[in-house]
Amino acid sequence: MRAAAYPAFALTAFQSRLVYRNQVWASAFGDLVSIFARIAIWTAAFAGATQVDGITLPEMVTYSVLAWPLLYWDFSRVLYDVGGAVQTGDVAVFLLKPIHYPSYLLSTHFGHFAFECVTIVVPVALIVGFTVGLLPPASLFHGLMFFAYWAVSWLTLFALACLCGLLAFWLLTAFSLEWFLMAIMSLFSGAVVPLWFLPAPLAALFGYLPFAWVSYYPSAVYLGKLDPAATWLHLGIGLVWLGLLSAATLALWAKARTRLVVQGG
Amino acid sequence: MAIIAASGVEKIFRQPKRQAGLGGAIRGLFSREFTEVRAVDGISFAIEPGEAVGYLGPNGAGKSTMIKMMTGILVPSSGTVEVLGREPHTNRLTNAAEIGVVFGQRSQLWWDLPVRDSFDLNRHIYDVPAPRFAENLARLTAMLDMEGYVDRPVRQLSLGQRMRAEIAMALLHDPKILFLDEPTIGLDVVAKDTVRKFLAEVNRDRGTTIILTTHDLVDIEQICPRLIMVDDGKLLFDGELKHLRQTLGSRRRLKLEFGTDPGPITLQTAALVTDEGLAKHFLLENEQTSILDVLTELGSGHDLTDIKLEEPNIEEVIRTFYQNKPALAGARP
Amino acid sequence: MSRSLAVVPHLVRIYIRTRMEYRGAMLLAWFAQALSYAATYTAIALLLLRFGNLGGWAWSEMALLLSFHLLAYSLGASLSFTQFRDIEEKVRMGTFDAVLIKPVSPWIYLVFSGLNIGYAGHIILAVGLMAWAVTQVAVDWSALTALYFLLSLVSAAMVTAAIMTMIGATALVWVRSKHLFSIFFGFWELARYPLNIFPVPLQILMLTVAPLGFLAFVPVAVTLGKPVPLLGDWALFASLAAGPLAVTLGALHWRHCIRNYQGAGG
Repeated sequence: MRAAAYPAFALTAFQSRLVYRNQVWASAFGDLVSIFARIAIWTAAFAGATQVDGITLPEMVTYSVLAWPLLYWDFSRVLYDVGGAVQTGDVAVFLLKPIHYPSYLLSTHFGHFAFECVTIVVPVALIVGFTVGLLPPASLFHGLMFFAYWAVSWLTLFALACLCGLLAFWLLTAFSLEWFLMAIMSLFSGAVVPLWFLPAPLAALFGYLPFAWVSYYPSAVYLGKLDPAATWLHLGIGLVWLGLLSAATLALWAKARTRLVVQGG
Repeated sequence: MAIIAASGVEKIFRQPKRQAGLGGAIRGLFSREFTEVRAVDGISFAIEPGEAVGYLGPNGAGKSTMIKMMTGILVPSSGTVEVLGREPHTNRLTNAAEIGVVFGQRSQLWWDLPVRDSFDLNRHIYDVPAPRFAENLARLTAMLDMEGYVDRPVRQLSLGQRMRAEIAMALLHDPKILFLDEPTIGLDVVAKDTVRKFLAEVNRDRGTTIILTTHDLVDIEQICPRLIMVDDGKLLFDGELKHLRQTLGSRRRLKLEFGTDPGPITLQTAALVTDEGLAKHFLLENEQTSILDVLTELGSGHDLTDIKLEEPNIEEVIRTFYQNKPALAGARP
Repeated sequence: MSRSLAVVPHLVRIYIRTRMEYRGAMLLAWFAQALSYAATYTAIALLLLRFGNLGGWAWSEMALLLSFHLLAYSLGASLSFTQFRDIEEKVRMGTFDAVLIKPVSPWIYLVFSGLNIGYAGHIILAVGLMAWAVTQVAVDWSALTALYFLLSLVSAAMVTAAIMTMIGATALVWVRSKHLFSIFFGFWELARYPLNIFPVPLQILMLTVAPLGFLAFVPVAVTLGKPVPLLGDWALFASLAAGPLAVTLGALHWRHCIRNYQGAGG
């Protein structure tokens, strides 16, 4: 199949979501409530202090919006999509078509992500920006590098979700895998509490695990908490992790595919 | 007294309009228009105890909606429905205890458990005394030939086996009326036949009133002496099946094949429609005409190799109906 | 009604048997869910380790709040969440019709034919954390405070089940209602933090139309003797009344929606 088909999958996914308008309004409202809650939590935690560990409250507000709805997007759709397809054997349909299944998934879920971004994250960010205020990137360099980190973050979370989805083929339950991944992400990714507020040994440990590249590092780069040298270095480490996760995902996919073909589903 | 009486029943649904294209979909995020769909439109009939009635019509004709109103699931928009002398939706629980309902496409069995567990749960739900339950279970198991699989999980059963179990389950509490929504849909020929024979027997021997919806005319021929036909929410016909054929003039087709072309043939008992030389197609004018009558008239001396008699199929009946709608109003006296 | 109640043990038994067909997956899910909550609580504990308190609540007090939140939620949700989340699917597939043709109350049938034993992981974690927290907080436990604590827990579970019922019932009329759960869980997440840290409009919402303030904060604040914003001295009474009141409203809404059930629409 031609490469041009893959953007079409993304567009189809985007359009398919427009039908569920109540879902859009409800998700946007639910996220708005959550984000104001997080802002309130940080305000309470700072308790009037101008800065804690060199971090200001406005920086934490910006961190909250970046780290959670934008970077730590709802991966369960990917996980159940993959998990369901391999568990039921429906994935065999894709093996019959001239489609590269991982690329198909990637484009479809990018479409879903773009939809959630446009309809939910951007409006929520605008409301927060006008009411509480959001900070611009620390510098032009950090702003540009944020996009590179964002790409690594998105693909890392996508690969993690696919990996867990594929594991459902052997463990026979996508549900538990979703919760395992949630457990890992809520502690290690920095989506809830950034690494700079953690005890030093924990922060050092979490800082080397790939999950921190989903929420923590991109947000920290945006806020200018990494100097240029560290920014380049961590981008490199993030890419290595991404490469390893992608290789693991593709290897697991190859294994599942062989099992599907040999055993006939 | 009628066991079921419907009078001037209407049911109107409100459905959102879908707009086409990306622009339409985005507009749909902000506003939505609705259309009113009149699924049941002024239907009246009365059914006596012990009758077996087929409720026939194409998809979307309002068959299921009518069943749902009779079983108390839906409330009519206007008009009245009475089942066993009660309004079903206001007396839903009392009504439910005295009827049995089978949905052809929606299983009521517990998918992961043996059939017997679903039956047993129904015993408690319908509060059936243990001896009567045991007796009914034994009888139904034998009649529907279920001995082989009542202890197997439902997920392992074929569609035909499952449907037999569904029907048995609906009868375990000796309902006075049995409603079946498309009970033969998707079944193979053998399974269809078993279900039809069984339902006819239940109606005949136990006197259970049967209302079934279908779009398969054979269901009606074999189970239901009476037919109610609807289309587009409106009642088209209410009466006996053979009466329908007469009224409709939807005639049976006869195909005669010859070894050598006998030349043109004209008959009193059947009208020639197409002549392909070796194969000739006729329409039988009269419901009473048999093949024997035609052959007698045709006489010997022809090199006749094959005879085929085709009943008019449902599509044909309905098509004829569309054309004759006004003429049929009040077909049942 | 008496027949409906008599059926309950049979519904529960048959549902548990279906779940036991997949007991491996269920045990794994118990563990995974407990782990996920434990990870979130650890993140909150680490936050408190750095900042000392949150809106005047120390870690032991937060632990009591979090465990109460999880326990009350799990008790209420085992009666309601999956059952009423999936009602939308049942309406669309037409299987809800099969519930309505049974001579038992459809609410009883739905709730107990799906009594979710999947919450065991939540409950074990919540009880464990609570057992630790009650010994750490500065409360003079007496028979009366313990009784209040238990009754308010029941009331909070009732609030959960009532809201879930109302959201699910809405699907009977609107066909779709799953999206309302996104809103529910937005407020549900807020409910595990001290209410006093939120802006006043949110506080008002959490004590009225989205009454999840009663899920944990109000009863735990009363138990700990901490001030409750807006309610003040009424907090004790309100936390006990919230459950029965929500259940009454839920029942009325459920009845209204059953009467106006439209099926899948034609």
